[in-house]
Amino acid sequence: MSTRNANRERSAASPDGGRRSFFWKLGAGVSAALASTTGLARAGSVEGGNTDSDELAIRKLHQAYERALDQGLYDDAVAMFADDAEVVFDGEAFRQRSTGVSRLYRERFRAGKIGKRMEPAPGFEVPAGQQRESVEVSSDRRTARAVFPYSIQVGMPVETESSLASMARLHGEGVRTWWEGGAYEVSYVKVADGSWRIRRLEYRTLSRADYRPGRSHANPFSA
Amino acid sequence: MRTPMHRFQYTKLTSAQIAEKLRAAEGGPTSVSPFTNVLNGKSIRIVTQDGPTLAYRFGNDKRLTLSENNGGNISARYGELTLNQMVFFSHLIPGTQRGYNVYIDQDTKLVTVFEVWLSSGIVAGTGANQYTLDDREVQRQIYFGYVDDGQAAPGNLHHYTNRIVGKGLYWKQDTGIETLEFYASVVNTNFVELTRHIDNLSWVSTSDYVLVDDRTFVYDRTECEFSGIHTSFVADLYKVEQVGVRFGFNENDELEYYMFRGSGKVVGQLAYLEPFDEYGRVPSWAAGNAPPAKGARATYRPVRTFTHMTDAEMHAAAEQSTVAFGGGPPTGPQTGMAANNMPFSDILVGKEFTLRFDHGGPVRDYRVTDMYKLSYRDQSEGVWHEVDYRAYEGDDNLAWFGHIITGSNPRAATMAAVDFTNGLATSIECHMGTPYYGNETTYRAVFGVVEIEGLDTPLYQRHELTTELVGHAFSWSYSDQTTSMHLYSSPHSMSWTIFTGNQTMGAQWCSPCLYVKLRPGVYLFCQNEEACNGAQMTELLNTKISHDCGFSYTGSAAGVRLNLVGAIGRHIGKFDILDYYGPKKREDA
Repeated sequence: MSTRNANRERSAASPDGGRRSFFWKLGAGVSAALASTTGLARAGSVEGGNTDSDELAIRKLHQAYERALDQGLYDDAVAMFADDAEVVFDGEAFRQRSTGVSRLYRERFRAGKIGKRMEPAPGFEVPAGQQRESVEVSSDRRTARAVFPYSIQVGMPVETESSLASMARLHGEGVRTWWEGGAYEVSYVKVADGSWRIRRLEYRTLSRADYRPGRSHANPFSA
Repeated sequence: MRTPMHRFQYTKLTSAQIAEKLRAAEGGPTSVSPFTNVLNGKSIRIVTQDGPTLAYRFGNDKRLTLSENNGGNISARYGELTLNQMVFFSHLIPGTQRGYNVYIDQDTKLVTVFEVWLSSGIVAGTGANQYTLDDREVQRQIYFGYVDDGQAAPGNLHHYTNRIVGKGLYWKQDTGIETLEFYASVVNTNFVELTRHIDNLSWVSTSDYVLVDDRTFVYDRTECEFSGIHTSFVADLYKVEQVGVRFGFNENDELEYYMFRGSGKVVGQLAYLEPFDEYGRVPSWAAGNAPPAKGARATYRPVRTFTHMTDAEMHAAAEQSTVAFGGGPPTGPQTGMAANNMPFSDILVGKEFTLRFDHGGPVRDYRVTDMYKLSYRDQSEGVWHEVDYRAYEGDDNLAWFGHIITGSNPRAATMAAVDFTNGLATSIECHMGTPYYGNETTYRAVFGVVEIEGLDTPLYQRHELTTELVGHAFSWSYSDQTTSMHLYSSPHSMSWTIFTGNQTMGAQWCSPCLYVKLRPGVYLFCQNEEACNGAQMTELLNTKISHDCGFSYTGSAAGVRLNLVGAIGRHIGKFDILDYYGPKKREDA
C-alpha cells in the first residue's frame, strides 16, 4: 500500500517507513492517538502519481461528508457510503447503508443535530502541531484509508414531556448539545463506476465539553 | 365572552358549512371607515418570489378581475384602505374558500401578498399524534413581490423581520374593539381582547412580522386552536395607526370579514436577546434545508396530545403512586427544571408553629426537627402526619416550603410562604382536578398568619393578590439547556416563550395565573398549564436577586408528583399596561 500524507503542518523529521500502523489500532487515549497520527504522517512520503487523483477524490468525498453533516443533509451523507458500510459512533456499530447506517444518520443524527461544525471548546483545543490528517491509497487503487480531525456538535433530544421541551421542538430545539473533538478513521472502497464510497467510518472521540459557540467557558462532559 | 378561549368548545365546522357561510362574503369585506379608491381604474401585475403572478384590473365599483398565473379571469368584490404610501386591498375568490390580502407600497412598488384559505386538510403531528387541522382554521401563505411595471425587478423585497419583537401595542379599531398585543416572539403574539372577553386573559396566536420600512410593518395572527380567525394589518409606528382585515369564524360560528382602521399606543418594549447581526429574515419554521410546505408555521397545539383523565382515574393513579421530591432526602445536585434552583434551607428546623388561614381556611400545626421531613396536623382532622418537604429561605427570615396533604382525595398539596418576621402566611392550596380534566390542578391562594412563640400575630394585615408584576417580563433559566421567558401579561394570566438556538424568542403559549405580594420585590406566582399538560408551577420570585424557587405539581397515569422548580432570572423589560385592566377601565369605556 502506498501512502500519501498531507499534514496541515508537515514534520521536518525524516520519514519512518517502518511505522505503518493505522491510527485506530493504537487505542483511544488522546496522547496515543495523537502520537499515532504523527507517526502516520512520517510514514508516508511515497509520491505516487497514480494515487494523486484518488487522494483528491477521497478528500473531496470527505469534505462533502462534513458539509452534508454541517448542513443537516443526512440523506446526502448516507448516499456516500458503500452498501456494506459500517459506522462506529459513540461505541456502537451501525451496519449496512440501507439499514443501520441509514438509521444512524436519518434518525439519531437528525434528532440530535449531530455533525454541525464547531470551533473547539475553550481549553480543549488540539495543539496546531498535532492536528494531523492523512490519506493512504492502496497500491491497486481499490481501497484507501484516511484520518481526518473533527470538531463538531453532538447532541441528543431532551427526554421529557415538559411543555418547554415540546415547544422547543417546534423550532428544532429541545436537544441537549455539546462539543466533541476527535478523529474520523475512515476506510474507502472504489465502486464499479470508479467513484469512492465510505466502507467504514469510526468516530474516535478524544474529548467532549458542554460548550456552544459564544460561551467563554467549557467543562468536560460525559454523554 | 366569559368562557376562556382555551376552554371554549368551538364547533368543528365542516367544509360544506364553511362554503355555505362564505357565500355571504361574496359582496366583499365590510368596513366602518369609508373605503379608499386609489386602485380605481388601475391594472397592475404583481410578480411574487416563489409564488403566483397576479394580474389585477380594478373597476370603479369595488369589483376587480384577477388572473392568477395567466389563468382565466376571476371577478370578485374587494375592499381597499390606504395608510400613508401603503394601499391594502382584500378579496375572496367566489366559489372557493380562499382569497388574497395584498399590501402594496406605492412608493417602492414592493408588495406583500397573503394568500388565505380555509378547509386546508393539512395533516400535522407525527405518528400516533397525527391529526388534521380544523377546517375553520384560516391558513396563510405569504409571498413577497413587486408591481411589474416593465422595469427591472427590485433587488430587495419586503421580508420577515425581528424588528418588531418585544414591542407592545394598544390598538383601538374603528369597530370599537380594543386589544393589547405583545409581540414577544418572532412567530407569535400574546394578545388581550379588552372588549371581547370579560376576564382580560391573554392568549397566544401564531403570527408573522414583515418589515416594509423603518416605520411600517405588516402583521398577521391566526387564532389557531381557538376560533381559527385571522387578523392582518399594516401599521405605521410613527403615527401608531393601522389598516387591516379580520377574516374567519368567531366563537358563534359567524363569518367575520371586515376591514378596519385603528389607532393605538406603544405600551413598551422588551429587550430581545438574539445576536445583534440577526435580523430575523428567516422564520424559525422555515430554517430547515427543505422548502417549508405551503401554509407552514410554528404553532403549538398542546391539547392535541394531552391525555384526558377523569377525577376517578386520576385518584386511582394517585393511590398507586404519590411521590414528593423523589421520595426521600436529596442524593445529589438538583437537576432538570431545578438545576438552577435556590438551595434548600433549614429555616424551619427546630420550629413548632401553627399556620392559620382566614375565612375557614385550613389551620395546620407543624413540628419540624429535620431538614427534609416534617410533622403536621390539620386541626380539623387532629392526626399528625410525617411527610417529605423542601424549604427555601426566599427572603430574609421568610420560609417557602411545600408538601403533600396525606391521604387527600383529590390528591392535594400545600405550598406555604411563612414570614417569621411579620407573622404573615400564604398558602397555595392545590389539588388534582378541574372541571375539565382530572389530571389538571386547581389552585388558590389563602391568606393568614403564623402563630409561633415570641412573635405577634397581625389581626388585619395580610399578604395580598397583587398587580405589581403585570407588564413585566423575565427570562427564567432553569438549567443551561432550558430557558423560558415569562410575560406577566394581565392581572390573571401570563405567557411563556421558548428561545431558539440563537436566543430569538420563538414558541409561545399562555395560561391563567395568580400573583401574591409577600414583601416589596418578593412575590408568589402560580399557574397551571391548562388545556396543555396540566402541570402547575408555583414559584417564589425574589426580584431583588432575580431568582425564583418553588414547586411543580402534576398528575398523570403514572401518579402524582410534587417536585422542584427554580431558575435564574433576567429582567427583560416592562409594558406599561396596568391602566387598561380592571373595572375602572370598563367604567371609562
